[in-house]
Order: sequence, then C-alpha cells, then structure tokens
Amino acid sequence: MIMIRAIVRPEKADAVLAGLMDAGYPAVTKISVYGRGKQRGLRVGDVHYDELPKELLLTVIQDTDKDFVIRTIIENARTGHVGAFGDGKIFVTPVLEAYTISSGVREE
Amino acid sequence: MKDVMAVIRLNKINQTKAALADAGISSFTATGRVLGRGKGMVDFRILKGAEAGSPEAIDQLGNGPRLVPKRLLTVVVPDDKVQLVVDTIIKVNQTGNAGDGKIFVLPVLESHRVRSGEFGDEVLD
Repeated sequence: MIMIRAIVRPEKADAVLAGLMDAGYPAVTKISVYGRGKQRGLRVGDVHYDELPKELLLTVIQDTDKDFVIRTIIENARTGHVGAFGDGKIFVTPVLEAYTISSGVREE
Repeated sequence: MKDVMAVIRLNKINQTKAALADAGISSFTATGRVLGRGKGMVDFRILKGAEAGSPEAIDQLGNGPRLVPKRLLTVVVPDDKVQLVVDTIIKVNQTGNAGDGKIFVLPVLESHRVRSGEFGDEVLD
C-alpha cells in the first residue's frame, strides 16, 4: 500500500475530489495547509507572499493503482493545458499497515 | 521508527489522549480539523431528511462528494510500540459503525530533537 499526498490549489480541490470519486477512489482526507514552493511564494508589486494557501489531499491506495491515481490528480489539478507554477506537488510514501477502526480489521 | 497516522471522530479525541497517556505514549501531534470521506460517503443530515421523505434531501442523495470533519493524530513511536498504539486507538474509537476512521502505519527514517540536536530512537522517550 502507498499513501499519495497531493498539494493542490484550493479552488481545484473539489475537481480533484470529484475526479477521484469518478475514478473509483472515494476515500480521501483533506487538510488546509500553507506553503511555498520553488518560486519562493508570490510577488505582487512590492508585496511578497511566502505562505500561500493550499489543500493537502491524503489517500491510501494499492501499489498497482499508483500511476492511474497520480494521472487522475494531475489532470484535475492542472490549470490550463500545460499547467502553471503553483499547481502543486504530489508525494508518494509507503504505508506498512492500515486498519479500519470500526471493524478492527487489518487491510491488505 | 514508525509513524502511526489515525483519522478519528471529533468527539473521541479526549478519550484517545487519555488512553494513549495510560498506555505510556505521552507524545503525539493532533491536527485541528481535517475533512474526509471513506468508502461509505454518508451525510447523516441528508440521510435523515431522506428517511423523513423530504424531496430536496432525496434529490441530494449520492450527489457529489460529501466530506465529514475528523481529527488526524500523528504518533511517532519505536517499532516495538506500534502494535500497542494501534490496539489502544482501535479499542477507544471502535463503535462498530462506518466512519470510525482509519489507521495507517508509515516508516520514519530519522527523528531529531530540536532542543538538543540529538537524534535516533531515544528522542522518542
């Protein structure tokens, strides 16, 4: 199992959630976060914003579904055809064990 | 070293804290409110309305993603305490209904103590 952590634009979070739902991955956790990337935030005139609001989406999936899920997130989170700076990042981490609390069952 | 991430119900946070403290796990991080959905995707207000026969609620059934507020706990523990943490969280949070949450165990490569700069397993004690 692997965990996908996707940092996306807040206005794109709903599109990504809907895309994942349609693709058959309903289970997601969403967290509001602030961050900056390689462009060191955003400069508007004299004002420098180095903490931009983003949404962090967590989802745990089987290893075999990785490429499909990543492609689904990218398609939905991108702005315009080629994408733009600030569209976000996706990180993949291994998950060793997963449990469902209501049944106490360890997921495979 | 392992990172035990648990998504649990809002109202269980105090009991979970107490139970973890009793089990000897004093340090953890809790994230304010996170929003999530599982396989069930149940919004109880709509469900209740639909059961009462309100046509608006019936229209909204199964329409679009519904996100339910939860708390996210992060506990970093040595390998031999992972099972204890998982069992404690399951015991306290289990009501048997869908929506009790999930627990994920992730590997952690290193941990450092900011105060003194030491690192390794002893940082977690």
